[in-house]
Amino acid sequence: MDAIHAENLSKKYGDNEVLKGVNLRIAEGEFYALMGPNGSGKTTLSSIIASVRSPSSGKIEIYGKKPEKAKKLVGYLPQENFSSPLLTGKENLMYFAGLLGYSKGEAVKIVEGLLKKVGLWEEANKRVYHYSGGMRKRLEVATILFPGLKLLIMDEPTTGLDPSARRKFLGLIQELRNEATTILLITHIGADADLASRVGLMDKGSIIAEDRPERLKKNSGLENVVNIETSIKNERVASLLSKFSEKLNVLETETGYRVFTEDVEEATPKIVRGLDEIGCKVIRIETAKPSLEDVFFKLTETKVREVD
Amino acid sequence: MGQITATWNKTMKEFLRQKTVLFWTIGWPIIWVLIGSFSFTSNVPSEALSYTRGAISISMMVFALMTAGMANLPGNIAQDRERGLLTKVMSMPVSPWRDFTGRILALLAFSGFSVMLVISVGLVCGARFFFTGIDFMESLAFIILIFVGSAGIGMLIGTFVKQVHGAIMSGVGLTVVSAALSGVMTPYQYLPSVLQNFARIYPISSANSAITYLLVGEEYAGYNPLSAGQTVPTALVALLLFILGLITYSRLCWKKD
Repeated sequence: MDAIHAENLSKKYGDNEVLKGVNLRIAEGEFYALMGPNGSGKTTLSSIIASVRSPSSGKIEIYGKKPEKAKKLVGYLPQENFSSPLLTGKENLMYFAGLLGYSKGEAVKIVEGLLKKVGLWEEANKRVYHYSGGMRKRLEVATILFPGLKLLIMDEPTTGLDPSARRKFLGLIQELRNEATTILLITHIGADADLASRVGLMDKGSIIAEDRPERLKKNSGLENVVNIETSIKNERVASLLSKFSEKLNVLETETGYRVFTEDVEEATPKIVRGLDEIGCKVIRIETAKPSLEDVFFKLTETKVREVD
Repeated sequence: MGQITATWNKTMKEFLRQKTVLFWTIGWPIIWVLIGSFSFTSNVPSEALSYTRGAISISMMVFALMTAGMANLPGNIAQDRERGLLTKVMSMPVSPWRDFTGRILALLAFSGFSVMLVISVGLVCGARFFFTGIDFMESLAFIILIFVGSAGIGMLIGTFVKQVHGAIMSGVGLTVVSAALSGVMTPYQYLPSVLQNFARIYPISSANSAITYLLVGEEYAGYNPLSAGQTVPTALVALLLFILGLITYSRLCWKKD
């Protein structure tokens, strides 16, 4: 049975069509990542699946039931930090255990297990106010790990986490994957989506491509990428680099640019020389395989993530 | 442990752990009981002093109930919505009615706690009341009407004012202004006639007058608020506010986009 089955799902706010006839099937036990930029409709789609919003038209079923009838099976992790900073980690989870109808005795045992699972047992009696961003996110993940929840929906769970907290968090998702739970991960980070068994790329309210991560990359036609960290970033640098990017425009990153070229060995020295001639220092240059963010850029000519 | 108990526990702990909530609901009325009992009573004849202090304590008890219902409750609702908790809870098999009941019971317990503290400080400051068992029970009924009316207004504010600070400030503003204009914080006799009419219609001030009438005497209430023509509308308007707040909260706050 499919965990999620959406057919021709649309959502309109006035004249603004946020979802445009989305079709989505996610099998039980699958780890599916939905990747796209802000405003692409990912959160709207996930909140319809979680029964927080209603679609304007189309059909959606969760384990063969309407979303509002399948709430007992779904664990939804919204983007915001929803835990109460005035309560301790344990008290927060006890609250959710109560909402799920567990008796106090059962709740105490389950909450203890969950706090250990997310690595917060030592901090269980501290108020969430004193937690770091990563700890708070792990606590909130624990709210979707109560027994009986078969479909976990996580909306951009790694946003705002530092690299170490993000690694720990992704480790936790890997563990969940091993437990054969169905996971729907909403993200705009290619490296996070790479962990999934299948990825859907979403843009302007539609899923524009869907496949296993490695196949998406392979089918993109992108061979190699030169990743360059430059001392300056401006129009002149981008214009120069675009001459070496044969298949696509250059992609601006946080620290420099990504150039898409077939012949890396030939292009790399020319890039360094060219940049040197216009007074731009190359801090680091490396070749890499295309990422899912590159694939998205290839398909849409827009970036998944905005850079400063 | 059901959904009502879980919500009660969470809301109660949040009320008791927020310093601003404690200050405005308990600290501020107590400060005014102290100031009122010792500074504003210099011209009061000694035989009337203890009942004047009683009337001041009742007003501040009502003020505490108003702040709890009109500012703390909407602040709590807006906070849960702003930080995404309401979205999270809506995705779970939770009934809005159980969530509502848990919140209201927590507010009732917290309000009861603040009422006892304010009245206790009043008694320590020399406030005295004269009442029979029936007077006490009637006063309790009016206290519940004040709670119900304030909570109704609080739910309306919490539903329509989305931001936490906006919700709290709207509640505090409405509490202070309506308490000042309706005779909760100013003796009824000193109000201009238009405000005296308002004081009789506004269920919180008329219930305040009824409690004052029952526990310290008519001269402190300014009029007889216990006539049928006065008590029935007081109860009806308070209940109407509560029902309106309840329906608005459960329909609009929990409405799917």
